[in-house]
Amino acid sequence: MLRRKKIGNGEKEVKNQIKRKHYGRGIIKENIQIYALMLPTLILIFTFCYLPMYGVVIAFQDYVPGSSFLGSGVKWVGLKWFKQFVGGYYFRRLLKNTITLSLMELVFGFTAPILFALLLDQIRHVRFKKAVQTISYMPHFISMVVVAGMVISFVDVNGMLTNFLTFLGLPRQNWRVNSAAFPWVYTFTNVWKGFGFGSILYCSVISAIDPGLYEAAKLDGANRWQQAWHITLPGIKPVIAIKLITTVGHILSVNSDFILLYYLPATYDVADVIGTYTYRLGILEGQYSYTTAAGIFTSIIAFTLTYLANKVSNRLADVGLW
Amino acid sequence: MKKNKNKVREGNPAITVLLYILAGLTAFIALYPMYYVLILSLSEPQYAASMKVYVWPKGFNLAAYQLLLKDTKIWRAYANTFLYVVCNTVLVVTTCTLVAYGLSNKNLLGRKYLTMFLLIPMYFSGGMIPRFLLILKMGLYDSTLSQIIPAAFSIWDIILIRSFFRTIPDSLVDAARIDGAGVIQVLTNVFLPLGKPIFAVVAVYTIVGTWNSWFSAMIYLPHTEWQPLQLFLRRVLVTSSQTLSQVMDPEAAREAALRALSNAQLQYAMIIFTSLPVLATYPFFQRYFVKGMVLGSLKE
Repeated sequence: MLRRKKIGNGEKEVKNQIKRKHYGRGIIKENIQIYALMLPTLILIFTFCYLPMYGVVIAFQDYVPGSSFLGSGVKWVGLKWFKQFVGGYYFRRLLKNTITLSLMELVFGFTAPILFALLLDQIRHVRFKKAVQTISYMPHFISMVVVAGMVISFVDVNGMLTNFLTFLGLPRQNWRVNSAAFPWVYTFTNVWKGFGFGSILYCSVISAIDPGLYEAAKLDGANRWQQAWHITLPGIKPVIAIKLITTVGHILSVNSDFILLYYLPATYDVADVIGTYTYRLGILEGQYSYTTAAGIFTSIIAFTLTYLANKVSNRLADVGLW
Repeated sequence: MKKNKNKVREGNPAITVLLYILAGLTAFIALYPMYYVLILSLSEPQYAASMKVYVWPKGFNLAAYQLLLKDTKIWRAYANTFLYVVCNTVLVVTTCTLVAYGLSNKNLLGRKYLTMFLLIPMYFSGGMIPRFLLILKMGLYDSTLSQIIPAAFSIWDIILIRSFFRTIPDSLVDAARIDGAGVIQVLTNVFLPLGKPIFAVVAVYTIVGTWNSWFSAMIYLPHTEWQPLQLFLRRVLVTSSQTLSQVMDPEAAREAALRALSNAQLQYAMIIFTSLPVLATYPFFQRYFVKGMVLGSLKE
């Protein structure tokens, strides 16, 4: 957005000069007024976004709740907590679970909105298409608590989904305590909740593709699939690339909202991820320094992954975040 | 243009039918779980208890809903959520508009630093624990303000409003200034009336976001009395250690037992009862969401 301003720089300069003649010293007064209007928000941003950043120093100390972050009483411990986290008993399990769930999310959750948008593009009946679209947004508006509650009830011994699975020949059980089923429940729930809403962006990009391209392809004898493959997909490729970069960056921060509500100690071996672990040890048990270190570790990996994905995307697809 | 497209893209009719069926099936999967919850909550208790109500409600019984309407705790939770929704929406729209307005002023000094100040938190954050400690230190822990003050702004919304303000022609602002309007008058006479569509977008996002939020209340607000609806639901739907009779007020619980209402039916009625405000209205405001998504993505 800054770049666009620069194009008209000369013009702006001239305007500014005219303005200065008109308002002169008024600019300082005007700025005081503007900053006065912005001040409350800027203070909020500083407090709730920047102060916590400074708070990460406790990852390098033996922080005692209630004491100050800096000062005489602080015991600096260097990388002790990082070493404890990475060398810890649960580290492998957390990493394995987090990556498994993220990869499943990537394979199913990431592709579902794209496939759905491509499918909708084939629907020519406008009212039918609108209805399908509206219905597909619905799960997005249901709160995660309700979604988790519904899933828990559906996979219970006599739940609706369990009945269906029993009908398909699987043994009747409470699927919530079944470790093998957890990744699938997690993935399906997330796909169900997000596929419709996630397709909005793709749909809007598809609708902006020049119809003349399809016409030309048709004249060349391209069928439905060839048109989708050679025109629609390349049309949404930049959006896919951008989304992919962000998704890859979040590979270690899987959506722990659902897991926190759904998992049980019986399924910790597959369901416990870095986010839920941080919550249990940090908020519930008060191990602030240790969990902050775990948080920093995750952020560093996330940033590195985003950076790498962006680089690869720039190289291969010529699109990137920066 | 639409007709043209139709003609161009015709293909094998059998596959067309198949694609329609596939789309219909997808919509069905998106809709059915909620529909199932609805019909079960409306069925006669003895059928509902068996959980085998698949197509239409078996019988028709509103007992579960009558009971909920009498439960004082759920109304309290509703009122709390309502309070948070109103406060957060008013605050977010106000705070974000003021910064967006400032950023769109041509004479603003230090714009570059201000933009950086806004962008850095979108990429870096202190994380859950430092934020929690901050709330503790500020004395917001276990206070209703913990649900309002930290949620009173959103950088994403600032950028959204800013990019909408950019579409307002400079000439309008200049004209107002020549007429002698100051900083405040330009805001109230030009930006506020013209910005209504984007305020609606931000308001709708905030309303739904606040209505559905639960995590911050779980962390910062252990006191039941002031907890929002979603945490009430969490106790009812998720925390299995508690039976419904412990969560609801004693009188309602006794009546539930009397009428032989199953836990599941009550839970499902609660799901409908608490999701209804959003589910009944989202088809009407979905265009705001679409608009926000598209505007927001253009920014990136």
